Parts: sequence; structure tokens; C-alpha cells
Amino acid sequence: MKNLFLHIKRDTTKWSIALLTIVLFITIPVFTIFINLFYGPGETWSHLVNKLLPNYVSNSFILIVGTSFLTLLFGISSAWIVSRYKIPLRKTLEWLLILPLAIPSYITAYAYAGIFDYGGVVEKLFNLKIDMMNHFGLIFVLSISLYPYVYVASRAFFLNQSSNIIEASKLLGASEKKTFFKLILPLARPAFIGGLILVLMEVLNDYGAAKYYGINTFTTGIFRAWFSLEEPDTAIYLSAILVLIIFVLITLEKQQRKRIGYFNATKNHKRVQRESVTLSIRIIFFVTVFIPVLLGFLLPLFQLLYWAYLTFTEVFTSEFLSISLQSLLIALSSAFVTVLFALSLLFFAKWNRLSIINMLTKFSVLGYAIPGAVIAVGVLIPTLAIDKWVVTIFREYFNFKIGFILNGTILALVYAYTVRYLAVAYNPIEASTLKLGKSLSEASKLLRKGNIETFFKIEFPLLKSAILSAFILVFVDVMKELPLTLILKPYHINTLAVKAYEYASDELIAEAALPSLFIIFTGVIPVLFLNRLIAKEN
Amino acid sequence: MEILQVKNLCKTFNKGKVEALINVFFSLEKGNILAVVGESGSGKTTLIRLIAGLEVVNEGQILMKENIISSKETFIEPQHRNVGMVFQDYALFPHLTVFENIAYGISKDQNKKERVTEVLQLIGLSGMEKRYPHELSGGQQQRIALARALAPKPELLILDEPFSNLDVILRNQLRKDIHTILKQTNTTAIFVTHDIKDALTVSDEILVLQKGNVLQSGKTKNVYENPEESYVKLLFESM
Repeated sequence: MKNLFLHIKRDTTKWSIALLTIVLFITIPVFTIFINLFYGPGETWSHLVNKLLPNYVSNSFILIVGTSFLTLLFGISSAWIVSRYKIPLRKTLEWLLILPLAIPSYITAYAYAGIFDYGGVVEKLFNLKIDMMNHFGLIFVLSISLYPYVYVASRAFFLNQSSNIIEASKLLGASEKKTFFKLILPLARPAFIGGLILVLMEVLNDYGAAKYYGINTFTTGIFRAWFSLEEPDTAIYLSAILVLIIFVLITLEKQQRKRIGYFNATKNHKRVQRESVTLSIRIIFFVTVFIPVLLGFLLPLFQLLYWAYLTFTEVFTSEFLSISLQSLLIALSSAFVTVLFALSLLFFAKWNRLSIINMLTKFSVLGYAIPGAVIAVGVLIPTLAIDKWVVTIFREYFNFKIGFILNGTILALVYAYTVRYLAVAYNPIEASTLKLGKSLSEASKLLRKGNIETFFKIEFPLLKSAILSAFILVFVDVMKELPLTLILKPYHINTLAVKAYEYASDELIAEAALPSLFIIFTGVIPVLFLNRLIAKEN
Repeated sequence: MEILQVKNLCKTFNKGKVEALINVFFSLEKGNILAVVGESGSGKTTLIRLIAGLEVVNEGQILMKENIISSKETFIEPQHRNVGMVFQDYALFPHLTVFENIAYGISKDQNKKERVTEVLQLIGLSGMEKRYPHELSGGQQQRIALARALAPKPELLILDEPFSNLDVILRNQLRKDIHTILKQTNTTAIFVTHDIKDALTVSDEILVLQKGNVLQSGKTKNVYENPEESYVKLLFESM
């Protein structure tokens, strides 16, 4: 015990304190949710439990089951075909299949509502009216928007799969179909389940699409409790249940990720060779792969372009330009702050000698798994408490009336984005530092340079692309973000995502197209740039 | 004069489950070269990392010129220990030229250009200042790593398996060169190796480790002629 105390005293440095401060700062929203559970639920909780909670649970369950089925179907089939077979435009299709991620799911939802609505393209061409505003419609739009998570994970697995396994199967007399279903698919399970867990986390996070399609979920319930019922305690209870569900999903994902290593090809493996197929099969495969691209990216994009053409003069005003600029500035500043926090977390942990504090850093990067609405609630409560306390102090001790300094300000919004997207910045930078290894920084220290000097002279120059990638990824995510922004944005500030949502809520769905396209544009361009950067580095 | 003293040094990993070093005790006189020899997992790398300040001790003390630099109460940061190190993978900074790599650790009150030229001449690579590490051969990178570690004139130089990435011919050549350079500059050095031939060629003293324990230590010639443990005997017989 005495030794332990001596070690702690010796190893506690300014970096340990700095690291602990950052970890506590980032985890405040999640701890707030759980601490406030002890204050008990709001007055409407029992009504909610009896009348609404079963609805939230059943709807969430239906969405989970439905999107799981469709995303697995689209994701795995397209990943296998582009990895295994020679089909026309394969290289182009490989990256087109990722593009649906550039369109936020609520925007895809608006687009399809218009495509299938009265006067929409489907009615005009086929004299057919399909009601999208139900569970099936929502499952469809969420699936075609989020299948790329399954596609990317499955494709990475299939490309690294050894061809020896397939050859061995064929020599034992198995057909291509049998090899795929009996051998490849079970082996790929950890990979596509990992992708599926990301899909389900996004499904539970969704607000805009579910709200527009009139489906009650946990996230819409949190909004309702907070804004309509004005019952923050009830919103907290709903948030806590949602966090528990997410926690179960994360645990499943981690278990699957551990198994991926077990199934990875050994060093001496031959990569899967792409096979030629007959013309008819090539056409079938091409169509199979093209369908998700068409449904997930091209159709929504064309619909939005058409609407934007119709409403351009009406929407493209100085107010719209001001909102675009505000969105850009908020996204740029949030990306900057988030990357700064990610770097601080990573390097303070590296410079800290107390291993117990380093374990706590894992909690800081859980924000990405927690829905934006929950983080917003977790930020609102403490910032409101601090603001009320400061106002009281100034009023009682200085006889001075001041407004809120945190709540309803950009500070709270940027803080919430940082908590939500820290993992998005942290993970790529961490991966690059691991690739860099320890010896360069150790060599620098033994050449009499301290931590800060080592960082700026050695590590930062070598991590520039990872830092830029992290910045771009956070920027794109903040531009698209809706539920958290709706709750926390200052009254006088607006973003493109909120503007698109407001237009859609007012049934001005065509007017929502231009802000939606701006969001997509800011998503696609950086992603393509990132793709080139990664290809250049490889 | 003793540059380095290591007293009852203990180091564990994995919450005490793995004992990497157990009661290690030795000292090193100024100008001497000590070889730390042992198989993989014997604790050689852990020992030099503790001396360099890249790990913290669990028990025991490490002293440089009779000042405690590491103990269970004290820890002096690596940048303040005046210890240089040549890493197994060389750890040359890829974005800096040879000149910038070597000049990196030289203090501001020294003439950097003069000192860099001096050490490049010492290692026989004059004229390489503007090259980048990826433009050098393995042997050249090894020498530049040595030059970089020597340039700030450290009290103690540590070499971590300096010849492991080199072919046999280069290895033999560098053994002699490093011995000459260290003696010429009167540098006190510890080098880690699993190859007994390195120890016999380069070192004045030897420390044999096995599973974290010191089996035998002393003047290389004495240990070679009088191995006390069967493992030490086997080590020399394996040449």
C-alpha cells in the first residue's frame, strides 16, 4: 500500500491532471444523465410508461429488425460482387456505393416522400401512389442511406480473404453458391455484424426521418418530453434507457471485433482473384450492385436537384447565404475544437504515467455511440445549472443582472459537438500514432527535447494527413447533424440541416432541397478529397 | 569514477504478474563499455529502458554520477538524464535531413554545423548532410543513428541491439567501427545484444541476464574464462 502511494505521488504530473480534467469535461453529459436518474422521473413518466413507452420500444424494435435485413442484403451482396467478380464499371461502382453516406438519412427521407407523393415522379410516370409515411417507408429510407456501413466492413473482409479457402471448397465439389453461403458468409459474420451495429446506432440516433414519417421512437420521445411536455426529468429517463440499449450494442460490436482478428487471413495468403462470368450473370450482378447506388444516392440526388431548380430563386436569398455561412463557420470551429481535444486526449495520455487515468480515456470516446439528442440533454442540464448559479451570484452579491453565458450560446453547441464527435477525430489520429510507433518520440526525448517540443517538431509533421482527415470527417458530420443542433442551437443562429428540417416540417419539401444539396456538396467533396489522400498515401 | 549505479532494481508488468527484472545490481565506470546479454524475454530491453527513463521502476534505484534518477519516489525525465540511445530500428526522423537529425539534440550554445561535421567525419560519412534517411542504406542509417546519439556528448550511451538488422559482413565491420568510435570519444556505453560475439568484440564488461535475474557480471575476459552458471557456459560455447 505504501509503495502504491509512493508510485502515485511520483507518477502524478501536470499531464495526469490535464488528462483527468479533459476526461471529466467530456464525460459530463453522460454522467449528468445517470446522476439525474436519482432525482426521479417527471410527473408524466407513468403516463409515458403506460401509453407511449411500449410504442417507442416496439417501433425501435421494428426499425432495428427491418433495417438489419435490408442493409445486410444490400451491403453484403454488393460487397461480394465487387470483390469477387469482373463486372462493368466495377471500380466506379466501388466508390459510388459509399456515396449514400454523404446524404443525411432525413434528407433521403424527404426526397422519397416527394418521389412517391401525389404529383411525384412515380405518380406521374406510373400512375401509382405509394404511402411512404409508415414503418416500411422509414425502414426503406434508413436502409438505403446506411447500408454503406455494412458494405465497407464486408468489402474490407472479402478483399483480404485468402483465395485458398475458396479453391479448397471448389476442389471438394462445392458450387459457387454453396461456397458463399456455407463458407464465406459465416466467416464474414464478425465483419458485417460490426458494420450492422454502426447502422443500428445511427437508426436509434435518427430524429428527422422518424419525425417526418410520423414514427415514434426513443429520440422523438426525448424531443417530445423536453419541448412539448416540458418534462426534462422524463427526457432524462428516456435518454438513460436509450444509452443502455446502445451500451448493449457496443458490447456486441466489441465482441465481434475481437473475432475478426481470428478470421483474418494469415501472412502467406493469396488474395481473392476476381472471376469472369457469363454476359447474363454480369448483367444481373451489375444491376444488383447498381440498385443501392440508384436508390441510395442517384434518385434522391436527382429529386433534390429538380426541386432546387424549381425553388432556386425563392430559396437562394441573402438569408440562405447567411445560414450557409453560419453552418460553415460552426462546422469549421467545431471541427477545430474537436481535433484539438482529440490531440490533447491522445498525447496527454501518452505523456501521463498513471495507467489508471489512461483507462478512463476510453470513456471519453463513447460519445459517438450516444444519440445526439441524449448528448444535448446531458449538456443542457449542467450548463443551465451553471448559468442559473452565475446569474444568482451576480444578482445577489453585485446587484447586477446578466444573461446566460453558456445555455443558448455557440459555446454549448460546440461543446456538445465535441462530445459527440470526439471519437471521429480520435480514432484516425490514434491509428496513425500507433503506426508511427514509440521510438521516434523516445529518440527525441533522449535528445533533450520535452513533450511539447517533440510533438511540434516530430509528431505533428508526421501526423498532418491523419489530423487533416480527422478535421474533414468531423466537419462533414457536424454539417449533417440535426437532433443535437435542434435542441442546443442559439435562437438567432441557424444551420442548413435545421433549415431543411424546418422547410420539411412546414410541408415546404421542395424548398428543403437547396439546403439539402449544400449539405451533400459539403459532404461529397471532402470525402472524395480524403479518398485521394488515402490512395496517395497507400 | 562510476557513471552508473543500479541497485536492487525490480520491474514488473501486467499488475505484477510478469517479473521482468529481479534485484538487478551492477555499476559502470566512466569510459567502459558494458554488454548486456541474454535471450529474448530475459529483461535486457526493460533494463535499458529503465536506465533511459522510458519506463518507471517498481523497486530499487538507478543513479547517474551518484544522483538518483529513478526510484520508487523519484523519476527524472529522459530529456534531463544526459543519456543517449541508438534504437534497434534506428528511429531516424524521416522528415529531417541527415544534418537536421544529427543537429537535433545539440544545444544552442554549441556550434551545430561544426559539431555535425565533426561526428560525420568520425563515423566516415562526410558529405551526407543533405540526404534523407530513406535514401541511406541500412549500415549508413545505423551510423547516422550513432552520430545523432553522440553529437550532444551524452554521459552514457545506450545501444539497443545495434547490429540485429544488418548482414554478417556489415555486422563484423560495424562491431569494430563502433568499438573504435566509442573508445576514441571515451564514451561510457551499454549495449544490448543476444549475440555473444558482439559482446566479446565490443565490450569491456558483460552482464548476463536470464528471466530477469543477473546470472553473472564482470570483466568480459573473466566471465568468458570463468563461467559460473551452466547457461553462461552454454552461451560462450554456442559461438
